[in-house]
Amino acid sequence: MKRRDLFAASLAAGIMGSTRRGWAATPDAAAALGRTALHGTIPRIVPIRAHADQIMDIKVCLRPFRPAGPRMDVEHVAGKTVVHNYGHGGSGWSLSWGAAYMAVGHAAATLERKVAVIGCGIIGLTSALTAQRAGLDVTIYTRDLLPHTRSVRANGSWTPDSRIALTQQAGPEFARTWEKMARYSWQTYRDYLGMPGNPIDFRDNYTLSDTAPDAADHVPAPADAAKGSFATTGMPQNSAEFAEYASLISDIIPAPELLAGADNPFPVAYARRTPLMIYNFGSYGHLLLEEFHQAGGRIVIREFHSPSDLADLPERVVINCPGYAARDWWNDKSLIPVRGQTSWLPPQPDASYALEYKGAAMISKSDGVMIQGYDMSGLGEMDGVGNSFEHPDRAEAEKAIAIIGDLFTRFQPRAG
Amino acid sequence: MTRSFTLRTALLASVLSVFLLHTAHAASQSGNGHAVSFSAEQVAHGAQIYAGACAMCHGADLEGGHDVPDLSTYFTARWANTPIDQLAGYISRAMPLMAPGTLPPQDTAALVAFLLHQNGVVSATDAPLPMEEARLAKLRFPAPSASSAAATKP
Repeated sequence: MKRRDLFAASLAAGIMGSTRRGWAATPDAAAALGRTALHGTIPRIVPIRAHADQIMDIKVCLRPFRPAGPRMDVEHVAGKTVVHNYGHGGSGWSLSWGAAYMAVGHAAATLERKVAVIGCGIIGLTSALTAQRAGLDVTIYTRDLLPHTRSVRANGSWTPDSRIALTQQAGPEFARTWEKMARYSWQTYRDYLGMPGNPIDFRDNYTLSDTAPDAADHVPAPADAAKGSFATTGMPQNSAEFAEYASLISDIIPAPELLAGADNPFPVAYARRTPLMIYNFGSYGHLLLEEFHQAGGRIVIREFHSPSDLADLPERVVINCPGYAARDWWNDKSLIPVRGQTSWLPPQPDASYALEYKGAAMISKSDGVMIQGYDMSGLGEMDGVGNSFEHPDRAEAEKAIAIIGDLFTRFQPRAG
Repeated sequence: MTRSFTLRTALLASVLSVFLLHTAHAASQSGNGHAVSFSAEQVAHGAQIYAGACAMCHGADLEGGHDVPDLSTYFTARWANTPIDQLAGYISRAMPLMAPGTLPPQDTAALVAFLLHQNGVVSATDAPLPMEEARLAKLRFPAPSASSAAATKP
């Protein structure tokens, strides 16, 4: 328990996460750990072929961030009971099942048998499936299906408290809501592990650094008081404002291990390994759609232009899952875009691991090697905040790939 | 008698059409409301705005892409028979995505005119497309006719 606490701040933040991959406590942690893998048991690391000329695709996502946390209240509009389920920031995939469980609870309480789900990103799909499992007849109304929805532009890994809320604006009550969502989601995901096509899988994620864990460059930059805060400016101004809840679930999330000396296969002085849950978009997305159809679900391709459009739906209960589109469709100006970009290189099934180094992340997935510069400018959680430029930036992609590429030019594969 | 009957019918029809305009997605058979007009100047101005603010994502030929909606065939299908104030409102609130809310009303109207023109809509007169929401609400995005839908650009 102690060991986990020492790492709590950096643990579940995952990759879309942040500044809280702090190393500050690691020397103590190493002592507390008292264990690493036995010599010779480290899996052989196959180098990643990180070269810009291997780019297959560049995806840009706009995380739908709300300072007060996701919108999950119930509203009566156009003669319908509307259950909102949007604005999960960089944690939509991770919290999806838990958020769906809560939203469907509100829908079920109306005692209506038929519900409409608006949107078919990961929040819409999991809401629809959860509603079916609660015995409801579900029709999804959506403009786009996977892989066209913004959801698939994420990096697809367990990041349950990445840009999910601001601590002060969300308040202590939301921490409890978050914990329920995170625990419920984590347990639901386990049900999809080990299935054909590996829709959900785990990777060893190596967090690498050239400098000592307690070096100055690992300490989060102090908040600049002159910049103010969300309370004074209406926009988040520093990383410290963003909520961290990972420690609430450290009892069920695998802890990191420090890799000392010969156990560290990378050409860097410091390495930490953490099992990371990942979502393989292709197989997982198709599987969820199959399950929805098999349970008698119906999909109607339709674009809504204003909330009054809901009036002509036959269903009286609507679960509203528009993601970032809520900013326009529901006129929710509290949604703040947080831009993120991933580039995709050909799959390397022989190199199934993930790593983070100098603000760039790599995850080797079944549908490609994902490389993302999540914090290449030292902005921490502020990286991409307020930026809605949803257009690929090739130079940014190449910079992130170069960080990973450089690491492997110095890499010495082990004999044997 | 005949005349007053006609007037009454016309009055009733216009009242009805106003009513229908407020009911989104009324069937296309319910009529296209007033004929849509826009000026050549608007189309030209809209083309400039489009090139500067929209083409980067939606493409020079309005073709869109995997992650970006097209503004051509799929677009007309999505907006057909919808009151044009909703389209203008959407553009002015949500576009361009990187700087929503920055287009002044005349640029928004010009963009709508440009999009209508590029999608084969022929202006009824030389009158410019209005900028006011209330007036745009009386116009509907024309549904592509079967013949124009079949015709493809070279």
